[in-house]
Amino acid sequence: MATEHVSAPGSSEPLIRVEDLHKSFGSNVVLRGIDLSVSQGEVVTIIGASGSGKSTLLRCINLLETPDSGHVWFHGEDLTAEHVNVNRLRESIGMVFQGFNLFNNMNVLDNCMLAPVALKKCSKDEARERALTHLAEVGMGDFAGAQVTRLSGGQKQRVAIARALCMEPEIMLFDEPTSALDPEIVGEVLNVMRDLAAAGMTMVVVTHEMAFAKNVSDRVVFMDQGVIAEQGTPEKLFSNPEHARTREFLSRYLDDTNEGN
Amino acid sequence: MSTTTAASGAAVEKPRGRVASLLLDDHRYVFLGTSAIALVGLILANQPHPVSSFLALSYAAESVLYYVLVAWVVVSAVALVNKLVRWRDYAVTSPFASPVARRVERIASYVICAVVCVFFADRCAVGFLDLVAYATTSTSNPDDFWVSSIYMLYNMRGVYLSGIVTTIVLAVFGTIIAFFLALLLVFLRIQAIDRSDNDFVRFVKVVGSGFARVYSTVVRGTPMMVQSLIIYFGGIGLLQGTGMTVAQTREVWSPFTAALVTISLNSTAYMMEVLRSGIGAVDFGQTEAARSLGLSQWQAMSKVVFPQGVKNSIPALSNELIINLKDSSVLSAISVVDLMFATTTIAGAYYRQMQIYVVAMATYLVLTLVASKLLDMLSHRLDAGDLGPVLGTSDALPAAKEH
Repeated sequence: MATEHVSAPGSSEPLIRVEDLHKSFGSNVVLRGIDLSVSQGEVVTIIGASGSGKSTLLRCINLLETPDSGHVWFHGEDLTAEHVNVNRLRESIGMVFQGFNLFNNMNVLDNCMLAPVALKKCSKDEARERALTHLAEVGMGDFAGAQVTRLSGGQKQRVAIARALCMEPEIMLFDEPTSALDPEIVGEVLNVMRDLAAAGMTMVVVTHEMAFAKNVSDRVVFMDQGVIAEQGTPEKLFSNPEHARTREFLSRYLDDTNEGN
Repeated sequence: MSTTTAASGAAVEKPRGRVASLLLDDHRYVFLGTSAIALVGLILANQPHPVSSFLALSYAAESVLYYVLVAWVVVSAVALVNKLVRWRDYAVTSPFASPVARRVERIASYVICAVVCVFFADRCAVGFLDLVAYATTSTSNPDDFWVSSIYMLYNMRGVYLSGIVTTIVLAVFGTIIAFFLALLLVFLRIQAIDRSDNDFVRFVKVVGSGFARVYSTVVRGTPMMVQSLIIYFGGIGLLQGTGMTVAQTREVWSPFTAALVTISLNSTAYMMEVLRSGIGAVDFGQTEAARSLGLSQWQAMSKVVFPQGVKNSIPALSNELIINLKDSSVLSAISVVDLMFATTTIAGAYYRQMQIYVVAMATYLVLTLVASKLLDMLSHRLDAGDLGPVLGTSDALPAAKEH
């Protein structure tokens, strides 16, 4: 355990701190030195063009991708240190995927109960109760016995959120949670996320939903070519972006939205 | 088949399966199909009577049956002409196509089928029994091909039956043992180093995965016949090295034991590869989701990926039983008395080869057909059989997947 990185307890230390993160896949350099911190209760959205490294950054935070260099601190503990117990840390970091990734060999309830029971977070009855509570929160309480393969995309994603919540994480990572959904269904998932944000959950959201970024997040991070090009409050970033690249990206998006409406 | 629904009335019935519908519903192919059957019956009726034919006892009865068939063919011909003449409105106007006529035709077709069955029983079944009776009482090997094969089978039935049993036992138990060994081995094979592993775990994983890889390469890269010889004689050598006598060795390490070990170990390698590809077909997102919840690699594997992978593999795994049924024939090299060994024994005893090899081939075919039918039922039961539409579109899928 990398004890030298454990800082003194205090509110000054952010929940997640990413420092000088680099990652490349073969010759393809995806992240070129990312510094980012997320404090307790904050909702951070990461926007940017495809291939700018948003998802990779998110996946580095819970070590689904191993960074080449740099550090990720969670509660002051360095996740990137050798032989750190990643599994235990991941218990507190929920993740929601673009492709839902519900366990196809189980029904909805078992999806939600698997991890809490397997990791002995609570008893089976307790886990069931907890699962039903969270399923009800995301509006899927009536589907507890359903096979996941028979759910719609929006329903699957809401179950996926409930499944992550069942581990009672301190932070939730969303990796383009609505990109695989049709425009009508996107709303139901975003509403769940909005409720979650309102309840004070710390969230990092990679998304192409600019309206969500604008209205729900406390801070918007714009990534371009593997670096954070610009970040700030949604008001500032959307109304008065500093970088030319940010302006270009946003203009394209906002045009689309305006035409759409 | 609009007439079918019209005939069955307003009551909404559960649709029957295809075979059941052909047999039990009124349909427009009743003349065509039954005429073909009737013609077969006529051909049979024109064959000479076997020795103990029962129809030969009553010429009158046989004539009546014969002319019933002829009558049906004639009526069918009339209906055909009628249809050709009134091609456009046949279904509406023809007396042959009215609901009542259709029902009568269907019932008549049962009678025709029954008559053909009688002719079949008389000419073929009784004829066959005559042959069997002749072959089993004959004191020398008859010259006729089929009579000779029946003669040889009958006189060597003990060897042949025990050969069949041995083949089945080898294949079934070999496959079952191999399945569990393959589960174990594939688990070793797919181990990947995880960040949280300590050096000892890493070492075990590397060695286990390497062993599984080498095992699969060697076993799949060499013939099972050679493997069986090496296992059999290697085992004997090993046991004699411990000071056992030849008789004791035979008792412990019989050809059957060696054969079972061979087929199990051989099948393990193939099943491992099947399982590996089945597990590989499970979306990696499943693992990622499990790991993101904090499950360890082992937990993600055993609770999420493995069950899905094994289920994916069931059709291909069950295929292994069929392969083993056939491939156990090479184990006759170590003189285990399986079906192949029994067959060559019989062929050698009578100096007649083709007759008994044809029978052996038919026996193998029956065994594999029965096995594949049983396995189909099993995989259906486990909800793993349906591959879904491969070439067809989704609307070609049967409505079987409702649950």
